[in-house]
Amino acid sequence: MKLIIKSLIAFSLFFISSAGMAQTSSYKCMIQMNSYQGEKAYVIISLINRKGEYEKTLRVLGPDKQWFNTLKEWYKFQTKSKEKISAVTGASIGGGDRAVVTLAIDSKKLNAGYTLRFESAVEEKLYHTKDAEVPLTTAGLAAKTDGKGYIRYVRFSGS
Amino acid sequence: MIISVWRYSHLTLAISSFLLLTIASVTGIFLAFEPVIEKSRDYKAASFDTLTLAQTVPLLKEKFPGIQEVSVDDHQFVLVKYAAEEGGDQQVYVDPATGKVLGIPTEKLPLFQWMTTLHRSLFIHETGRILMGITAFLLILIAVSGIFLVVQRQNGWKNFFSNVEKTGFAQYYHVVFGRISLFFILAIALTGTYMAVYRFMPTPGKASALIDESQIKEEPLKELSEFTVLQQTPLSSLQKLQYPFSDFPEDYYNVQLKGRELCINQFTGDILAQQNYTKTYQLANFSLRWHTGRWGTIWALLMALASAYILFFIYSGFAITLKRRRGRSKNKFKAKDARILILVGSENGGTFKFADAIYTQLIRHGEKVFITDLSNFTAFPNAEQLVIMTSTYGQGDAPSNAKRLADRIRQYPQGQTIQYSIVGFGSRSYSRFCQFAFDIEKLLQKTSWANPVLPVYTVNDKSPQDFSGWMTEWTHKTGFSMLMPRELLEPDTADLKKLSVTSRTNPDEEASFIIQFKSSQLRHAVSGDLLAIYPRNDHRERLYSIGKVDKNIQLSVKLHEHGLGSSFLNHLQQGDIIKAKLVKNQHFRFPKKTKKVIMVSNGTGIAPFLGMITENRRKIPIELYCGFRNRSSFTLYEPFLNKQLSKGNLASLSLVLSREEEKEYVSHRLLKNSDAILQCLKNGGVIMLCGSLSMQNDVMKVLEDICSVEDPMRLPELVAQGKILTDCY
Repeated sequence: MKLIIKSLIAFSLFFISSAGMAQTSSYKCMIQMNSYQGEKAYVIISLINRKGEYEKTLRVLGPDKQWFNTLKEWYKFQTKSKEKISAVTGASIGGGDRAVVTLAIDSKKLNAGYTLRFESAVEEKLYHTKDAEVPLTTAGLAAKTDGKGYIRYVRFSGS
Repeated sequence: MIISVWRYSHLTLAISSFLLLTIASVTGIFLAFEPVIEKSRDYKAASFDTLTLAQTVPLLKEKFPGIQEVSVDDHQFVLVKYAAEEGGDQQVYVDPATGKVLGIPTEKLPLFQWMTTLHRSLFIHETGRILMGITAFLLILIAVSGIFLVVQRQNGWKNFFSNVEKTGFAQYYHVVFGRISLFFILAIALTGTYMAVYRFMPTPGKASALIDESQIKEEPLKELSEFTVLQQTPLSSLQKLQYPFSDFPEDYYNVQLKGRELCINQFTGDILAQQNYTKTYQLANFSLRWHTGRWGTIWALLMALASAYILFFIYSGFAITLKRRRGRSKNKFKAKDARILILVGSENGGTFKFADAIYTQLIRHGEKVFITDLSNFTAFPNAEQLVIMTSTYGQGDAPSNAKRLADRIRQYPQGQTIQYSIVGFGSRSYSRFCQFAFDIEKLLQKTSWANPVLPVYTVNDKSPQDFSGWMTEWTHKTGFSMLMPRELLEPDTADLKKLSVTSRTNPDEEASFIIQFKSSQLRHAVSGDLLAIYPRNDHRERLYSIGKVDKNIQLSVKLHEHGLGSSFLNHLQQGDIIKAKLVKNQHFRFPKKTKKVIMVSNGTGIAPFLGMITENRRKIPIELYCGFRNRSSFTLYEPFLNKQLSKGNLASLSLVLSREEEKEYVSHRLLKNSDAILQCLKNGGVIMLCGSLSMQNDVMKVLEDICSVEDPMRLPELVAQGKILTDCY
């Protein structure tokens, strides 16, 4: 019985992901950090659904799993969903630096009430659950979005 | 005193940090291999050193339309990060001259990530980082105190790298390895400490913060390859270049070079802002490279080796300390509080066995006892009873840990009356049996505070009966209760090894014979060492000089009528097996580097020289002066020495006979050849003496006369420098 359920889940996951892949759009995203003192920041970019819940982790900027639990809200979702994130991790970003990442997002989610959340944390310092939030809309992606914590601003360009 | 300060701090620091140091060293060894593995992939392009940014930056932009940044790592591999057409960010190593992809960087192994976090912060974040920072700082202090300990041990900076006296495995290699690796360890410790401290310093400002956005121009438009600043910057000075993200005028090229950071206008090539890195930041970068071994493969491997040395130091350091603590300085009470004092004089530690045994018993009975070396004599304000237990060195001299006693007794007159009892240890086969014990008695008689409770007691051959005699008397007089400790009744059979007789000669007219043993357990015996045998399987021990001949242990024995050792050896036949102990004799070794060696012996004192001569593979000229009574007693050695002469192992042989022909002693013969002796000493040659103490006295007098021609002060100096070596009994 268990086996059947497992295979069903695997099958449906495969179907969903392959169906999604066909309609994925790439967005180049630039994160400009503020000049602050201290360690490099861990930044996580997540897709937030209409209800304000985490749906998918798009990018983890920070190499060491030891620190993931400092990004508390996201970590709760992460441990619950057991989402695989090893493919989307990268280096953390220092004060004043900028990072450019390419995000792959399902085209159907555009202009459908979704949000891109940028949350950030620095070792032994404050954690910003919503450092920057960009509405996943045509207008939202065209604008420059200011951050509230370690992030100075976020900017997108389609490709 | 100074020695103890350095040693004490060295030990305290080591104890307080060894746990964290162990973690840091083990992980450090592993982590050193990360740059080695990285480097081994070698993506460095041949043209790397000749290119400028004006050649590289436009080319890579053309080859990788989605390029985001180009960076150069410590191995000078050029890494391009770009948005791939198929989606997602990609990173590839490229040839900066052609844009050709050379390889894809692999992810950091989880093991290395895990090790790094353990190494840096013990998995406990900031607290762990601070702890590891402190550990690194303690390591600096350990290394510095270690350097001073070496300097003291070697008598000055000049001799820092000269030969170390070989004493026990742990001690020897602690020092020998220490001298080389200390400097690498110091480098690790300094860079590690700096990186920890750097975390608390302000980070350097960013060039981007200096940009005045209102001043940004979009004209005149230039090609990327025409940007002057790119033309002037070699690729080799680049750390990271970020391409502008968009066509917005406020977007720019961000260029991080080795010494500064630039923001460059993406249209005109003007420098929008520039920030030089602070010294503190550059030093932090430098520390990181050296500490992690990213500087190069060889350095990384040296770091691994130095980390491994730290582990060895931890082991050997504690081994040395335990050994030093064992038996000594385990005092429960302080000198000033003690009622009973036990002062010990011992050359090789034998007497401590007895002293420790009574110390332990008295402590067990709740007495306030203090035990120390005779040289540590000082003010003892609460002492009532003084027990002195001492052996005698050579012809009635003080053992080395009792040499300062006479001075100290003069220096510290005691304020109250102290009752004393002296126990001398020795062997009746020496004419000056327990002489030093009697000398101490005379010293104490001259003081106003010392009162004898018993006459001087002597213990022959570590005899338990003799010792128990003293003990009964002493406890009777003083009222302290003690029983004969059981460990003193049993012979000291630890470290006994088996040897089997391979050959022996019959006693000649002078009752001398040669006996040879082989032993798989005593392969490390060296000519000049001593073999301790126990003829009656009890505490009585006899020592014989070893000559190593054809891998056999060879003894030359003179048979005495009632001699305990010699008659025991004389009863042995080929194939017999005995048990014996090896006593190392470091101060009497054939010199490794010298131009000439003069060997002087009388009678069976020739024994170690026979071994040294056969092992003289470097053909150092050896002149042997050997004294015997008659020509007939030389026949035992004649064929052997003639063979060595013809082989060239022995340069010359002077046979000196005391009862026949010229009837002279070796000292006379040396005096006759004083020119040659003086020449030898002046050229840095070595003189070795082995035989009876009276021969040693005569020869030393002659040498003094010979030396006084040049400079009256030279003889003691020569002895101190190891140019005159003696092993007489």
